[in-house]
Amino acid sequence: MNSVGESCTDLKRDYDQCFNRWFAEKFLKGDRSEDPCTETFRKYQRCVQKAIKEKDIPVDGVEFMGPNKDKPES
Amino acid sequence: MKIWSTEHIFSYPWETVIKAAMRKYPNPMNPNVVGVDVLDRGLDTEGRLHSHRLLSTEWGLPAIVRAILGTNHTQTYVKEHSIVDPEEKKMELCSTNITLTNFISVDERLLYRPHPENPEVTILTQEAIITVKGVSLSSYLEGMMARRMSANARKGWDAIEWIIQNSERERTSL
Repeated sequence: MNSVGESCTDLKRDYDQCFNRWFAEKFLKGDRSEDPCTETFRKYQRCVQKAIKEKDIPVDGVEFMGPNKDKPES
Repeated sequence: MKIWSTEHIFSYPWETVIKAAMRKYPNPMNPNVVGVDVLDRGLDTEGRLHSHRLLSTEWGLPAIVRAILGTNHTQTYVKEHSIVDPEEKKMELCSTNITLTNFISVDERLLYRPHPENPEVTILTQEAIITVKGVSLSSYLEGMMARRMSANARKGWDAIEWIIQNSERERTSL
């Protein structure tokens, strides 16, 4: 599956693989150990936020949740 | 305004279904979904996983339809918020379109839970509120959208089953 920003697709795939593994093998089994995907997610996010601005996609109004995550720089 | 709702049972346990739901795209039943991105994701104080995603869909609208809708974009965008509660075994998804909002709003909600009478299978309840704005044929168009959603819902269930079966095939061939 591609990213909305074409150049972000490889970063997305890396993150998705990490997340799917964590989701199935840790999260759903009640394992609350450290999320191993934070760094991959950060790289991927920087790319996606740039693509969203470039394409002028109206995502404003999406509340950014997650007390464990840093707020993305605007 | 039109309210549409449906229920479907998957003959798989809840964990299997939601692992598939998290990896739903791409799949052959939903070729119009051309891009999916995670905008944010994190755990809340109760240990539930929240994800905010952006989906882009390509409908191949002809130029004249795009002119009527007043858009140059060929892709429409949907934002989705999902919450996975592994203790209560509930996965809820809410989505809404963020483009073409002057014309139509489709708010959809999906809830995956173990079936209350048989915990080995999973029940999906799905509902949508469809509102076509400022157009005199609104109730006709809303009816049309609701019928389209029923067809799409069926594709969505097939997509989940396809993802589950493909994962099982990968596992048994190892």
